[in-house]
Amino acid sequence: MDLAVGSADGDRYDRQKRIWWMDMDAVSSARVLVAGAGALGNEALKDLVLAGFRRIDVADMDAVEVSNLSRCALFTDADVGRSKCLVAASRASAMAPGADVRPLESSVQDIDVWDYDIALGCLDNIAARLHVNAYCMHHRIPYVDGGTDGMRGKVQTVLPGGPCIQCTVNRTHVREMERRFSCTGGGSMYVPRMASDITTTAVIAAMQVREALKIASGRRDLCISNITYYDGSLCEMFNAAADIDPGCPNHTG
Amino acid sequence: MPIKITVRNVSNGATIRMEVEPADKVCDIIDSAADFWNKDAGAYVLKKGKKLLRGSDTVAEINLVTDDVLEMIPDPEGGCRWGSPGLC
Repeated sequence: MDLAVGSADGDRYDRQKRIWWMDMDAVSSARVLVAGAGALGNEALKDLVLAGFRRIDVADMDAVEVSNLSRCALFTDADVGRSKCLVAASRASAMAPGADVRPLESSVQDIDVWDYDIALGCLDNIAARLHVNAYCMHHRIPYVDGGTDGMRGKVQTVLPGGPCIQCTVNRTHVREMERRFSCTGGGSMYVPRMASDITTTAVIAAMQVREALKIASGRRDLCISNITYYDGSLCEMFNAAADIDPGCPNHTG
Repeated sequence: MPIKITVRNVSNGATIRMEVEPADKVCDIIDSAADFWNKDAGAYVLKKGKKLLRGSDTVAEINLVTDDVLEMIPDPEGGCRWGSPGLC
């Protein structure tokens, strides 16, 4: 793109374009799924739209609660009781011209069409993560999963052909899943009230969106290999590499 | 012959020495360490160096030797409230 004399400050993305590998055309045309419109989903949506993503679907089936308001930039007190994804989509769409954030008022299990270029997992339980992961693996969609617990968080980037979320779960994850289902039965799920704060949420969501920028810009080589763990109380991060599990159903058949 | 390893809890830096057998699985080590530290129910992973260990792998398969140090990491689940909340 040519630069007109004196126009640098009139370009919304001038500063971002100065990151040499950033492909803003690819970013603006990429189709992104944000699974979950809670704390991580709010931060991710905000960052996605500000970073130049324009075609975003956000899925959530819950309503805004007062306890969400300390971590959700897109919600206000007046939104309590309203659909999270409707409010989040509307507010995020208003943040930048041309942003088209569409709400999907459903669980991730009810998403029918998986035609995304990137999916961000902003979920709070392993079962939903494994579901999104499986569909992304099947449709070869890069999946960037975020998770938080108090001051701790993690980001796992799943690229087609690489190790996935399923490859990294063990029986402690399975036990945790069973505990949630067994508490209520009938297919509903017990969701514990986990510690959470906006600073950790903001860090993890920002890392997810940064991964999305790399993927959209064709720079998968810059992505996390494969998981970054974050400890906010010490301001420490470290990476861990995973292997493909030969028994993983997403890598067989 | 037992292999003496150290497991470090990244949450608080605490360490324990453990004796493991070649046939023990990574998940057995996680369970024992979580039990020792009275950890709440939750998901954990073990890391050796920069490598995340698969829960189903055995001590022999991951080539653990005496004095190896493994790090136990809580695997955070949160991000939003998903599903029908209830009380346990």
